[in-house]
Amino acid sequence: MSSAQAASLVINLTDSEPGFADEIKELGGEELLECIQCAKCAAACPMVLAGFSFFNKRIIQAILLGLREVLLDDSSIWACQSCNRCTEVCPREVNPFEIIQAMRRVAVREFALPTMSIEGLKSLYDTGHAVYLAGAGNTRAKVGLPEKPPSTVAYPEALKELQAIMRKTALADLGIIPMNGFGVADTCEV
Amino acid sequence: MSRIGVYVCHCGENIAGAVDVEEVRKYAETLPGVVVARDYLFMCSDPGQELIKQDIRDGLVDRVVVAACTPRTHEPIFRKAVENGGLNKYFFEMANIRDQDSWPHWHDREGATAKAKKLVASAVAKVALLEPLEDRYVDVTRSSLVIGGGVAGMFAALDLANMGYKVYLVEKNPSIGGNMAKLDKTFPTNDCSACILTPIMVQVGTHPNIELLTYSEVESVEGSIGNFKVKVRKKQTYVDWDRCTGCGDCVEACPARVPNEFNEGMDKRKAIYIEFPQAVPKRAVLDIEHCINCAKRAIGTEPRIHSKTGEPILAPCEKACKTGACDRSKPYNPDGEIMELSVGTIIVATGYKVMDKTPFKEYSPQSPNVITAMQLERILSATGPTEGELRRPSDGEKPRTIVFISCVGSRDKNHHTYCSKVCCMYMLKEARLIKEKYPNINIYIFFIDVRTAGKDFEEYYNYCRGLGIKMIRGRVGAVDELAGDRLRVRAYDVDLGVPVELEADLVVLATAIEPAPGLEELGRKLGITCGSEGFMKELHTKLYPVETPVKGIYIAGCAQGPKDIPESVSQARAASSAAAVPLAMGRVLVEPLISEVDQEKCSGCGICVPLCPYLAISMVEYREKPLSRINEALCAGCGVCAAACPSGAITLHGYTSAQIHAQIEALTAGIGGGANV
Repeated sequence: MSSAQAASLVINLTDSEPGFADEIKELGGEELLECIQCAKCAAACPMVLAGFSFFNKRIIQAILLGLREVLLDDSSIWACQSCNRCTEVCPREVNPFEIIQAMRRVAVREFALPTMSIEGLKSLYDTGHAVYLAGAGNTRAKVGLPEKPPSTVAYPEALKELQAIMRKTALADLGIIPMNGFGVADTCEV
Repeated sequence: MSRIGVYVCHCGENIAGAVDVEEVRKYAETLPGVVVARDYLFMCSDPGQELIKQDIRDGLVDRVVVAACTPRTHEPIFRKAVENGGLNKYFFEMANIRDQDSWPHWHDREGATAKAKKLVASAVAKVALLEPLEDRYVDVTRSSLVIGGGVAGMFAALDLANMGYKVYLVEKNPSIGGNMAKLDKTFPTNDCSACILTPIMVQVGTHPNIELLTYSEVESVEGSIGNFKVKVRKKQTYVDWDRCTGCGDCVEACPARVPNEFNEGMDKRKAIYIEFPQAVPKRAVLDIEHCINCAKRAIGTEPRIHSKTGEPILAPCEKACKTGACDRSKPYNPDGEIMELSVGTIIVATGYKVMDKTPFKEYSPQSPNVITAMQLERILSATGPTEGELRRPSDGEKPRTIVFISCVGSRDKNHHTYCSKVCCMYMLKEARLIKEKYPNINIYIFFIDVRTAGKDFEEYYNYCRGLGIKMIRGRVGAVDELAGDRLRVRAYDVDLGVPVELEADLVVLATAIEPAPGLEELGRKLGITCGSEGFMKELHTKLYPVETPVKGIYIAGCAQGPKDIPESVSQARAASSAAAVPLAMGRVLVEPLISEVDQEKCSGCGICVPLCPYLAISMVEYREKPLSRINEALCAGCGVCAAACPSGAITLHGYTSAQIHAQIEALTAGIGGGANV
């Protein structure tokens, strides 16, 4: 490894943001400072097994040290499967999952999100499902289920309510996805 | 022929785990004089002791051997059982088959069993030859000496004084108060240290039963429990304390400046000084080494007379003094004054010192902005060099980023392998005090483990984290000086798994707690050895935590090991109540295991006299011949005289030559040709 590469590995805490932890707390990670880095959450996390570099425990430590840029340069936070096991096992009631969500909110505000996430958000707005298989109706019918699931897909008025809610969120201000017409799109397959 | 009973203890698994107890028991039955051999799971328990007592009551045995743990803790228990059974309690011998056998030979069952047999045979051989002895008592001097006037020593002294006993409190510094007087606030409640300590200092200073001997050191200790003779050197103050009022006028006038120990060297005091403003006693001391003898007024000389005015030419200090306390004409003895004290018990509470930063080259100790936590304590204190203003030493600027480094000199084979125990908490405390006052200052604490075991300590830690103090697991590897009085701190964040670095304005080293200087020497005077780390060893970690191997001498506070204020005070009060027991009893039991001179055999050579560490031996005229005589009250039964006597005239009861030889024979039976001698 060249010395230039080695130097780039060092994280300079002088450049860190002292107020970053407060921002995360405001965006939903209220219990952030309760974390003592015991790593029980990491032991329960599928992201660790999948080899992602920033998982719950490391994300929290990076936030505690004010390393916004380090986290924004890494896409690991988007790999969280929302299984919530970390929150279940945490002995300090830190709620690591909520902290990852809060970090995602930070990332979205900086437009630091992967394309897949944009598509997911669009699908959520358009159909009420982050992942929606429009062509699934036939398969459902074959196994005796109604073609449309009993969700926003079957109840357009519910989708309208959801869209109204989404338009009240920061997403509307950021303009990441178009929030125009109503109604379930025919194809929003991702 | 004596009827010996042998009782082999399993000590749960402690002995039985390595020794075949049944085999040892069977073997004991075959030894000469043994009429019964039994074994039991816990011989020291009530049913175990009952086995022994019943055999004595039944007339079955008249001598008892217990093969078990250590006589250090259990000999008195079994002697009592033997006595309760109806025998002279000195018809008892113990074979230590745990500390000297099962523990060191844990993985050698065969060898351990063989050794247990030898140890039992040796005890049986000796017990057959034991004589009945009578306990004796000596009267106790109802006073106590406390060495060290920190928070532990002060509480020990106060408790004893409140019980009505005379207490001498010896302190080497000019004032009592100790290290606690230097602290700003104290965890876990953040009480102001001075506010809780100074009233105690006043109580100690004014208590009618406490004689305060500050600026004094213990010179020598003789005697034993109940009757210690202690010589204390009152160091020369070169100020007449009977006249000194502590006004400080001499200090104002003095031009000589010396690094101030009380402020950890961060500012200067004068050569004549009062240790700190709240000192008790508030008296000035002249540091003769740094005195520059203004107006050529060397101590003990008459002043020159001014040629014009005819007035004597005085030094500024004596000129300023309104009471004549600073009169330099007095012929002071530089060695001070020796006081002789008689006390029944002694408490050692000599406290600690914190390590200096100098040995830690990797942390740039040459930088004024790298300080010890004790120095920061002085900076934070209202009585400190900055009067409580947080300013860094190099330029007096308020730091924006502060880094704390834990375990500096602790848990380190190059310095001290132990954990200093209080550093995690005092770092958190200092960080918290700063953060609460200045929320915008960035504070990082680099640690290995955060050890906050103690009542309300974890809550304190959580609170500090909540304040946004940044905790990074990982020992700092380097602190480098940068331009602009900045410091670069390099470490590895174990939790992120990456190297980190940052620039700081102030680096605080949590240096290790060390025994107070001279503790080892004091230990030699007292007959107490210090452990490998230099702290004094208690008699038994769990059961006799304030007692020492020397009866009548007790320990409290950091003399025994690093501890915080709540623990030091608890231990001090425990030590004072232990030290009060002999004083309350008025007499103490002295085992009759002491030496006696056979006057027929004594040649009067006098070799024994200077050897006795207790000054118990003197030469007396007997039939116009000098003979050695041992004072029973002073003899501690160490046996040095008996071993040295060329005429074999001295017998140490309980360890006679015949008894020792019988033990050796039993231990070496079957070993031929003297090969093992």
